[in-house]
Amino acid sequence: MGYEPTPYQLKIPSHFPDMPIPSDNPMTVEGVELGRKLFYETLLSGDNSMSCASCHSPQAAFSDPEQFSVGIDGIQGLRNSMALINLGWDSFYFWDGRAKTLEEQVLIPVEDPIEMHQSWTRAVSLLSESVTYRNMFFRAFAEPGIDKYKAAKALAQFLRTMISGNSKFDVIYKNENGLALNAEEQAVYATVTPEELAGYDLFKSLNGADCFHCHNGPLMQVQKFSNNGLDAIFADIGREEVTGNPGDRGKFKVPTLRNIELSGPFMHDGRFGTIDEVIDHYSTGIVMSPTIDPLIEYASQGGVQLDPTEKQWLKAFLLTLTDESFVNNPDFRKP
Amino acid sequence: MTLLVSTIVGCDKDEDPVVDPEPIIEIKVQPKFDGVNLSLDSIYTTDEGYKVQFTDIKFYLEGAGHNGNSLTDAMLFDYRERGTAMYCAEGDASLYPSIQANLGVGPDLNHDDPSAFPNSSWLNILKANDMHWDWNPGYIFVKVDAKVDTIVDATLNLDHTVNLHAGRDENLQTVDFQNVTWTSVGEYKKRTTLTLDMYKFLQGTTQSIDFKTEFTLHSAPGQEAITLKVMQNFRDALTP
Repeated sequence: MGYEPTPYQLKIPSHFPDMPIPSDNPMTVEGVELGRKLFYETLLSGDNSMSCASCHSPQAAFSDPEQFSVGIDGIQGLRNSMALINLGWDSFYFWDGRAKTLEEQVLIPVEDPIEMHQSWTRAVSLLSESVTYRNMFFRAFAEPGIDKYKAAKALAQFLRTMISGNSKFDVIYKNENGLALNAEEQAVYATVTPEELAGYDLFKSLNGADCFHCHNGPLMQVQKFSNNGLDAIFADIGREEVTGNPGDRGKFKVPTLRNIELSGPFMHDGRFGTIDEVIDHYSTGIVMSPTIDPLIEYASQGGVQLDPTEKQWLKAFLLTLTDESFVNNPDFRKP
Repeated sequence: MTLLVSTIVGCDKDEDPVVDPEPIIEIKVQPKFDGVNLSLDSIYTTDEGYKVQFTDIKFYLEGAGHNGNSLTDAMLFDYRERGTAMYCAEGDASLYPSIQANLGVGPDLNHDDPSAFPNSSWLNILKANDMHWDWNPGYIFVKVDAKVDTIVDATLNLDHTVNLHAGRDENLQTVDFQNVTWTSVGEYKKRTTLTLDMYKFLQGTTQSIDFKTEFTLHSAPGQEAITLKVMQNFRDALTP
């Protein structure tokens, strides 16, 4: 009987749905370990100076605190780096959704001339020089040889382990929906403030902040593209670039709000540096355009018109989405 | 020696070759506007002269079946994401000369943990996506989003948003599609296509919906009457 990699058991929170795992890339301990190493591997960049983690820093909820990331050639990117949170449940990747799978997604930044600017042929060649990598790839895939598709599978496996579901919000969510809280969670719930609960009410209220049309459920997002009223004329056409459909102009992927405290700046172009600016946008800054999301029900009035107290409550709730155990998880750090 | 026989029909274009394929049932829904096939993002004119651009049409049918034979727990129609597709699975069409179902999600399932349904179920939160409010209200049964110009003049200005999202147990409706016509598509598949006429939805059989005044609905307290009207008009607009 030949060598078999060890199946990896994902730690999925009880209030989350099962994670869909592609049948051609089952989770294995060895695959995750390899993916983690590759995530921090600078050989994947043209001058061996950058890794995935360069623009997806653990301290920033695996996003980039800079508005635009700068690639190895000093060229600034065009969009803000997305936070890497609960990606295993996403249906598409990048702000414009141009990748349909994680395996497809992770291949792209390596060769992108304004990002890591490394050919996969060269990257594979460099990795193949390493005995450590040759062994790790063998252990992950039970066969000799390294190629970019195996690298992509391993990276995708690692990214699927990056699950955030242990914030104060999760305790609020479970309590509200009648799910049992353990002793630790009960202790957390005891610290929930009236302002945070008032903010949650506003978050869900259709006549309040009306956030939950697009940020819903335990994952705090829905899988869709939206024009959320940032501009009347679009310097970046977003989803239209992929579909060619003018009806998709200015639409971008709806991101999760988990760890929003850490993942700024916000929006596809990182135009808002703070949560307060984001709240102000949805309150009074909505700009009409032909493709504006009809779910922004008060768009014609400029937004939901929150008063200062309501803004404070909403922010208090948004801060409950911070999951310290996620950003500090040693399993996600550089090996 | 194994003889592989390619299927000539299936639910997906690239279905794997199989031996002796099981019969397949397919249910599609064709949205129309006054008898003409409706396209999202195209502009139609209501009886009041308003210009309307539908941007999303979604609804749940739950417990669909006939005479003790059940098709699935729930089907979700999502015109933007899946076109006219509603349901496609192995099954014997002769068992379903008519189909009864809930328009919406019945109270037995409506308040269950949406994460606990199997990933294959359209009730799972990943598939329900924005069709789930929260556990208390449960699922959105019917969702119609649009942009409208309610000023009848020569200028087109679709600056009026319409969000009709109806749900809650008390507004559940039932549909009873009699004399369902199953058409053969190839050797193994039987298909029926339901019609959803959005003109009829707006006109109603007894009471019409006026987008000028009835443009937002989330089945909140105080919206009982319009919720019921939306659900009943939608039910009546959906025909075999």
